[in-house]
Formats: sequence, C-alpha cells, structure tokens
Amino acid sequence: MSERYARENELVSAESNLYDKAMDVAIALSIVTFVVGMITFADAVPLGATGTELVNFFAALLGVVVGGTGIVAVFSYANVIPITSQRVRGVAMGLLVSAVGLTLAAFVLPVSLATMLGLVMLLEAGLLVAAGVVSRLGLVDTAPSMTAGLLAGVVFGIIGALVGAVIVGSLPGLDAAVPGVPVWLLGAIVLGVGFGALAIVPREDLGSTLPAALIIGLLGVTIATAVIGVGWQWTPENLSGGFTGGSVIPVFVLFGSLLASWSAAKCRADFGARGRQYGAFFVINLNAFLMVAIMAAIVVFVTVKGVGWAFHDFSIGALSLLVVLTPILVLTAQHARAPAGTDEWHSAARQFFRVVPLAAVGSLAALLLGIIVTGTTFEIPYQYAILVDRSTVMLDTAFRVTPSLTVGNLLIIVSGAILFTYFLRRYGSLRNVGTEYERLSLVRQGVPAAVGLLGLLSLVYVVIGPVLDNIGIGPVLGLGVATLGAVVVAAFALVPLGALVTGEGTLAERAHESAQLLNVGLFSGIALLMAVIVLEWTAVSNPQLGPVAPVPVVALVAAVSSLCIAALVARARRSTDDTLRRRVLGDEVTLALAAATGYVTLVGLHVAATSESTFALGPVEVGINGSLSWPTVLQGAIPLGQAPGGIYPAIIGTIWIVIGASLFAVPLGLGAAVFLTEYAEQGRFTELVEIATNALWSTPSIVFGLFGAAFLIPRLGNSLSLLAAQLTLSFMLLPLVLITSREAIKSVPDEYRDASAALGVDRWTTIRSVVIPAAMPGVVTGVILGVGRIAGETAPLILVLGSEIDATTAVDVLGGFAFTTTPPFITNEALLGSSAALPTQVWGIITAGVSGSPSKGWATAFMLLVVVLSFYAVGITARTYFRRKINYE
Amino acid sequence: MLSAVTTDVQKAILGEDPSEGALRTVGSSVLLLVATLATIFAAPGFALPVLAVFLVVTAFGWTTHQAEMARLLTLVATVLTVLTVTLITVYLFVSAAPAFAAHGLDLLTIPIVNGEPQWFLWLDFLLPSAESIWNPRAGVYSLIPLIWATVIVTTIAGLIAAPLGVMGALFIAEVASDRLREIIKPGVEILAGIPSIVYGFIGFIVLNGFIQKSFLDDGASYLIAGLVVGVMALPTVVSVSEDALSSVPSAMGDGSAAMGATKWQTMKSISVPAASSGISAGIILGLGRAIGETMAVAAILGAVVQPTVPLFDVFDASSTLTSAIAHNYGSASASTVDVLFVAGVMLFVIVAGMSVISQYVERRINEKLRGQQ
Repeated sequence: MSERYARENELVSAESNLYDKAMDVAIALSIVTFVVGMITFADAVPLGATGTELVNFFAALLGVVVGGTGIVAVFSYANVIPITSQRVRGVAMGLLVSAVGLTLAAFVLPVSLATMLGLVMLLEAGLLVAAGVVSRLGLVDTAPSMTAGLLAGVVFGIIGALVGAVIVGSLPGLDAAVPGVPVWLLGAIVLGVGFGALAIVPREDLGSTLPAALIIGLLGVTIATAVIGVGWQWTPENLSGGFTGGSVIPVFVLFGSLLASWSAAKCRADFGARGRQYGAFFVINLNAFLMVAIMAAIVVFVTVKGVGWAFHDFSIGALSLLVVLTPILVLTAQHARAPAGTDEWHSAARQFFRVVPLAAVGSLAALLLGIIVTGTTFEIPYQYAILVDRSTVMLDTAFRVTPSLTVGNLLIIVSGAILFTYFLRRYGSLRNVGTEYERLSLVRQGVPAAVGLLGLLSLVYVVIGPVLDNIGIGPVLGLGVATLGAVVVAAFALVPLGALVTGEGTLAERAHESAQLLNVGLFSGIALLMAVIVLEWTAVSNPQLGPVAPVPVVALVAAVSSLCIAALVARARRSTDDTLRRRVLGDEVTLALAAATGYVTLVGLHVAATSESTFALGPVEVGINGSLSWPTVLQGAIPLGQAPGGIYPAIIGTIWIVIGASLFAVPLGLGAAVFLTEYAEQGRFTELVEIATNALWSTPSIVFGLFGAAFLIPRLGNSLSLLAAQLTLSFMLLPLVLITSREAIKSVPDEYRDASAALGVDRWTTIRSVVIPAAMPGVVTGVILGVGRIAGETAPLILVLGSEIDATTAVDVLGGFAFTTTPPFITNEALLGSSAALPTQVWGIITAGVSGSPSKGWATAFMLLVVVLSFYAVGITARTYFRRKINYE
Repeated sequence: MLSAVTTDVQKAILGEDPSEGALRTVGSSVLLLVATLATIFAAPGFALPVLAVFLVVTAFGWTTHQAEMARLLTLVATVLTVLTVTLITVYLFVSAAPAFAAHGLDLLTIPIVNGEPQWFLWLDFLLPSAESIWNPRAGVYSLIPLIWATVIVTTIAGLIAAPLGVMGALFIAEVASDRLREIIKPGVEILAGIPSIVYGFIGFIVLNGFIQKSFLDDGASYLIAGLVVGVMALPTVVSVSEDALSSVPSAMGDGSAAMGATKWQTMKSISVPAASSGISAGIILGLGRAIGETMAVAAILGAVVQPTVPLFDVFDASSTLTSAIAHNYGSASASTVDVLFVAGVMLFVIVAGMSVISQYVERRINEKLRGQQ
C-alpha cells in the first residue's frame, strides 16, 4: 500500500503556517476533552470539582502531557524515533498548549469542571467557525470541494433531528402547532432538515464546520450555563431508570469532542479529498485505539482486583527465583545478540534497546543474590479482603522473597530441561572435526549397549523387584550397578576437561583437536546417568557411599566440569582468528553448556526418582518440597480457618476438563479433517459437513450444556460429573478442530502432493510424510486457540458440573481408576463425580449472593484469565513464528 | 442392489483394489467397531472390553496394513463427527417436543398488565394473553418476555459492535502498518478470548453499581448487558469483516490509486462496497454471538422473568433465552426443563440459521471476487 501513496509523506511533512497550527491546537484540544470526558464518565474526578481540586487535576494532566510529549521529543531529537510529520509535531505542541491553558484557566476562573468543559467546547466551536470562515473568504490556501457530501449531510441531519426532538420536547408550554403531530416530531423534522441543508448546500469548508460548530456550541452552552448541571436529574415516567448530570455531561463532552476532532482534522488537511481522508482516518484510528484500550483496561482491571488475593502469603526462596530466572536470562541474552530495530535507527540506540532486557534480568539476579548474601527477607506487605460470616475482613499479608537456599526439584527439572533443549537446538554438529581416537569408536558402541543393559535391568526390577528383594540381592545389585555407573559417568565428564587442560599446542588447538572427545564424553555421560537414575527409580534404591550419594554428586561434578569446559573453550575462541576454528569452538561451547544444564536437570530428576526428601550440598538443598509457598494455587479452601486457603481444586478441575476435552475432540476432528480433505470426493457431502460444522461452531454454548445435561448425565451415573463436562466441551471443541485442521490441510499446496506422487509414493505415505507435517503449524495453532476458548467456557459447565465455590480437595483422576470384576471392569469415581473448576467457581460466587466473597471471585477470574490468555499467547506466538518461518524460507 | 451397496461401502472404507490381507485386517477391525457400538447400546458394561479388543486389533492392523488402517480410522472419525452433530440436533428437537405438545401456542403468551394486553400492534390479536407469564408452579410459561429481552440486548449489542467493528476492520485491513497490524490483530483475538464469565463478573460487581448511580436505575439493566455483549461480539465482527476486506483483490485498490484517488476514497468507494457482503456476514455472525451469549447476560440481568414495560425500557431487566436456561435448569421441574428445551431449540435454529446465511453470503462474495480477477 505504502508505495502508492508515497507523496503523502511529503505532504504531512510540509511546513505549517499559522492556520495549520491553530487547527492542530483544535485537534489537540478535542483529544484532551475526550480524555477528560472518559475520566469523568468513570467518575475518577467529580464533575463538580472546583478551586484547588480542579487545579490539581489539570496540573496532573499537564504533567502527563509534558512527560509523554517530552520523552517522544527527546527520542526524536536523538534520532531514535525521528518524527518528521509536522502534523504529529503540531498535535504534540497543541497538547502542551491546551494542557497549560486549561491549568491556567482552572487557576484563574472560579468555575467547576463541568462549566469548564462547557467553555472549552464553546472555544472549540469558535475555532471551527473561524477556520471555516477564513477558508471561505480565501484568506488561507485550501482546496474545498463544492459540498461536504451526502454522507456528511445525512449524518448531520440525523444528529440535528435528535437535537431538535430533545430541545423542542423539553421546552415547556409549547402546544401542538399542527394538531395530531407531537411537537418533538416537528422539532426533529425542522432541525434535521436544517442541519442537513447546512451541511450540503454551502461549500465544503463551511458545510463541514458550521453544523459541527453549532452542535458543539449548543452542547457547550447547555453544560456551561448549567441547564444540565452536576446535580441535574431527569426520570422519565415510563422508564425504570433516569439520567443524571453525572452521566449526561460526560456523554455530551465525548460526543462533542469526537465531532470537533473530525471537523478540525478536516480543516487541518485543507478540506477536499485530503481533508476527508484525514478526518476519516482520525476517527478510525481513534476507534482502533479505543478497542485496544478496552482490552487492556479489562485485563488490567481484573489483574489489579485479583492479584492481591491471588498472591496472599506468597513466598519463595531467592535461589529458586534465580533458577527460574536462568532461562529468562538466556533468552534475553539471545535477544541482545540478535539484530533488532530498523536500519534508520541510531545504531547506539539499537544496541541500547537490545541490551536493556538483559540488564534488567542481571540487576534482578543481583538483587536476589543480595538477598541470599545478606540473609534479609524481601517483603512487600499489603492487605487483602476475605469473607468471614458474610462480612468482609481485611487480613495482613505480604509478598516475600526469603533468603532460603532450598530449591524444589520440579523447578530445577523444568528450567534445566528448557535450557537443555534450547542449547541442543542451537548446537550444530561436530562430525569429522578434530582427531578421531581409536578407543572412541569402542565407547561409541559400548555406551548404547550399557544404556540398554541398564534399561533391561530396570525392567527386571519393575517385573520381579520383590522377588529380588526377598533373595537379598535386590538392593545390593542396584546399589552396586548404580555406583559403578556413576563412577563411569564421572570419568566421561572429567576426561574431556583433562584433554583440554593438558597436552600440546595452544588452548584453541587442543580444543579443536579434542572435539570428538568432548562430543562423545558429554553425550555418553548424560545418557548413562539418565539410565542409572531410571534404575534408581525402579530398584527403589539410593546408593550411599558413607555420607555421599554418588549419583547427584557425580552429576554436579560433571555439570561443573562441563561449565569449566565451556569457559575454557570460550576463552580459546576469543584468542583465535581462524573463522573455521571459531565456528567449531562456538559449537563446542554450546555443547558444553547443553551438557551442564542436562546434568543439573539430572540432579533434580535424581531427587524425584529416589523420593529421598532432599539432596543437600552445604547450605544449598534440592528437595521435593521447595521453598515456594503459594496458598492460592497450591491449597484447597480452608473452611473455618483464619486464612482462606486457595483455589487449587478449581485449577486442577479446569486442567482435567481441558485435557479430557482435547483427548476426545482432537483425534476425532483431525482424523475427520484428513478424511474429508484427502480421501473424500469434494462435493455435496463434504460441503454439507462443512456447513454443519460451521453452524455447530456458532451454536450457543448453553445449548451444548442442555444436551450434556439431558443426554449424557443420565447415561453416566445420573449425577453432575467431570466426564460429562469433558464430553460436552469436546463436542464444542470438535467443530473448531475440524474447521482449522481442514483449513490448514487445504492450504498445503497441491505441488507438494504432486511431487510426492511423482516419486511413486502412495497416498497414505504422502499424507503422513508431506501433508500433515506441512499442515501441522496451522493445526497446532488452531487447537491451542480452541482449547483456550474451552478453558474459559462456563455456560455448559454449570449444567453438567455444578458450581462449587469452596472445594477443599481436588479431584484425583489418576488415582481414581479402579479395576473391578463386574462390568464395566474399569471404574473411576473421580471422573464420575463433580469437581470445582475456575469458571464455574466465579459463577458460583455470583449466585451465592452475600455469602460469595468478591475478592475470591476476582482472584479466580484473574487466574482464569491467566490460564486462558497464556493459551492464546502461546497460540498466537506459534502462529507468528510459523508464518515468519514459511514466509522467509 | 445389495451387492452394489456392499461394493460402495467397501470402496469407502478401503479405497480401490484392496489386497486380501488388507481386506481381512480392516474387515475385522470394522466388525469389532460395530460390535463396540452395539454393546454401548445393548450392554454398556461390556463396551470397554470390546473396545479394548478393537484397539488391539487396530494396533496390529496398523503395523501390517498402515495405509488401509489410516484410511479406516479417518473414516471412522468422520462418521463419528457426523453422528455427533446429528445426535445433538435430533436430541434437542426430540426433547423440546413434549413442551410443544403440552403448551403449544401458549408458550407465546403475552402478558396483561393493569387489565390491558401489554404488547403492541397485531400481537394482541394473534396470541393468547394471560395475567401470569412465567410461573413454573402453576405450569404457566411464556417465552415472549425472554425473546423480547434477547431482542433488546442483541439490538444494543449490534448498535455497538457493528459500527465499531467495521471501523476496526477498516483500520486493520487498510490503515494500519504491518507492524501495528501485528499488535492490534492479536489484541482483538485476545479480546475474543477473555472468558464471558469474566465480563459477567465485571458487569455484576462494577457496572451494575455504576448504572445505579449514574442512571438512577434500581438494579440490573439491558443497557449494561447490551454494552458488555456488544464488546464481546466486537472481535467476531472485526475478524470476519477484516478477512473480507483483505480478500478484495489488490488490483482493484491499485487501479483506484492509479486514478489519483486518496486512500480514503479507495476505501469508501472500492474496498467497502466490494467487501460489503463479507462485512454483512461478519455482522450477522456477531449478532449470532450476541444472541447466544449466556454467562455475561446471566450474571448482569439476574434470574427474574418479567415483561418489559414499556417495550423500549432499556433500564428494565429480564432473563434472556440463554440466561433463563442457565439460571433455571438446575432447580427446574420436568415440565420446566421441557420448556427450556424449547428455548434451546429456538436459539439453536436462529443462530445456526444465521451461520448458514453468513456462510452463503461469504461463499457468494468469494465467487464474485474470483470472477473479477
């Protein structure tokens, strides 16, 4: 699009004269009044504010404007965000002028905010009239058309009719001039036609300013003279509600300023085709901004309301936070390495923006280290509301970061696995690099065999473990093999380090030469240790050599050794200029880092596998119970305690519902999509299915609820049940999966299929190896977005799952399976029972009336929003990622 | 005749020219599946073991005749999907039948307030009227107040969602730069993703208080419900209209630009008219969403069923078709449930009809634009 309108940039950057500047001020003034209108509509500032209160308000507004325009001005001056458009500059200047002017006016004039807004609207009307007249008299160089156009005429006619109806209707003592016709109708007709004519008949410069100015002036006079004042009220007889000054004045202001901004924007761009474009774009842009603002407002509002309760009694150890921070640190480092911004940017500024996140993470890490070193707890105390006996009680609580050095093994496993995958993906290959030692090939063959043997042994333990225990060799064998494995792993981890440190040549040469050693040593070590840990798990043993547990110690030693290797190779890489060698060494660094994170992950896995409570190394502990305490997410409701507990059952319930619905819907929908697109003949049948699925997708969710409640529940034990909820939601998810999968499969180009067929590949292999992989991104994105929608669905759930609000225990689906000798042979009490869920809990709080705790409701809504929006964030990110990948390839 | 059917079935399941082994494997798998379905209806207790046998056989078949098995499984998925859709539709209608039979036209009873039938124009002559309109204990039901409440809420929502949504679509499709589009489009999607119960909770706790203060209302009102539902329907209108605007061939816009038209003139005179049917499809779909919206409306309007007097009183409140189901189902007697099913069928028919219409409109525009290219 942009090339077509290249000249536009010249136009908007043209020098502006006095008329242009005045119009910029008018636009800015209408923006300011619009914002103030919004603020007063939400009742953030009373309309009756006078004196100091009013001055303070406008001074705050001035501060905001100065801050906003100031930072943009600085960036523009520094050439980071060069702003060449005179229009933008003009509006910024206008904002400053209006904010200063309003503050001064509030200081000088002894009026209320409402009167002030009325006066400002009168001023806007004056400016518009002046602009129109000046242009009509030819004092400025504009390009108006003959008329403002039919569209503007019709719109002004409608507005005029409304104004006429209200004015004439509310004037007392006017009798019907024509019998049988109400006066307000006459007024509407007269003013409607009048305004329409005023817009259409004169030349455009008058036609698009005069009627607008008249309306704005009229609204302004009404407000300024307090005909509709702050205390004004009007309750029509036949309506249940009525209107107050507090709601009508802001509506007038919002409407008036919208009209003024449109008209002023037209004037600014010299009327004609360009003026209309500027005016229309102004309104369209404002609308888009409003939409985003609404979205942001909802999310922020729920967060602000819910975050206090959601984080009550939250505390976490500083070391655990550091562990969480490491993946983020690596990601920000990656961000800092990648080129960012556009070329026109000042290069220093680009570098600055690239490193800002990294610096932020670094300083956060330093803070956490400070907490650990000084041993002081970081606390943000605050209060939150709970409901006790139907009355609100405020409780003291705090958000704490403790200097605890205990880390939960789950945190370590998750963070470590993320990093391991990340580094492994970045690692290229070291094939055919460096010296190939003879013994290495032996190791290459030996390690898989050893891993296989260990796996077999684990299997033996699973099957006949008790027997082995009975004859007494169980523990001994497990212990011996595991210890032996650990020792071998230690060798694998230390030998490459030794090869790096000793030997001939420079460090870089040695690193290059021992590439194979590194490759084999690190990978074999991880694989072997993993097998050993699996053995520990199945043999239920935790080998101890005196006070030392060999497996985690070896893992730690290996991790440290890998880190050392990474550091040494990185140093060697700095010292060499050979491009090829730099590349090889870079790969080695990545490999060593991957190994280090892998070994750390294994420490966490070891703790999980041996179910020993902790593995301690000095003050640092890795335990099954970490230092995280988060009652909202980790506890059920506590019925009679002082603390309210949490919403763990609801979270678990929602997770199971989502999992169950996806298990039913995704395979079915995907399979049907493959059949309909790849096998079935495209014709009546496929079209019918498509229309039916689309119709089903837009069917109200409550209808699915009706079906689930009346059809499924009687067949599933006649009580509210989790299984019924899962099935009902899967019926809702099914059409979406089908539709998105079909779209994705259809959008795979036919060339792919033809090329595959030309190679003699049969249909199914083509589908499996060509079509589905190519369609996968679309399918995955569609499913994620659909699941996000399902997670927040409420209406069907209240019919099939109930709406419990104070659940104390979560459903135990995995533990609920039981085998019976009578049909149906497998039962699951948990699946056939009711459960709490996040959305139904919010509904339960609404219907509970006074016994529902609003603060708990906000917290539940907040957690629900977090769950749903994270699905959306993942889905949208995945889509953007895949789309970029496809477009750039 | 019979053999022709058999051949057709075999062709659908196996494709052309199956081998002996494939026929045997897939055949046994199909038989077991049919057996599973039969046991579900005949002896549900034994369905799981039969299903397990089916799974084992299928897994075995997957290793030996993967291609044929894959075809069979996708076919089974299709059949099950179609069956589900049919089952839901048929079951809804069947469940609604008793109430139709019992109450008939009485379901459309119009209320009498102060001795006068309260509904205007010809409705008085056509429909029966009664003092009481929703009294489950006395077995008196009228859906008219619910329908009218739905109409008011949907109208307000449409007045908000249609203009704002079309302008938003214009912004995303024509005005925004690529970068801005990358931000705003996901923003709109997220707006669609916010669960309706969250809107409902905000409306219930915050907005109802606001309207009592600023509009002197005594409680809930259609105005707030309509506003909230309008915001919720907005993303549907935006994304469907945006698709329509984006699919206008760029040659048309280029031609307009070549004639010296400004961007706005191009939008107003080329893009919007060309995409008008797509935009109307978006609005129809948005209205469908508004009609079907349940939780936000149920939370804001409450459980009362009452006639709206006068008809245009936007500050009044009554359950809509959807929220009546949500509020009443749990505690309803059998006869009330039947009536709620009538409401459900009504919703289903209206919204599915709107969806079909909008699909038809969209299909037409696609054909038209393709013809012009």
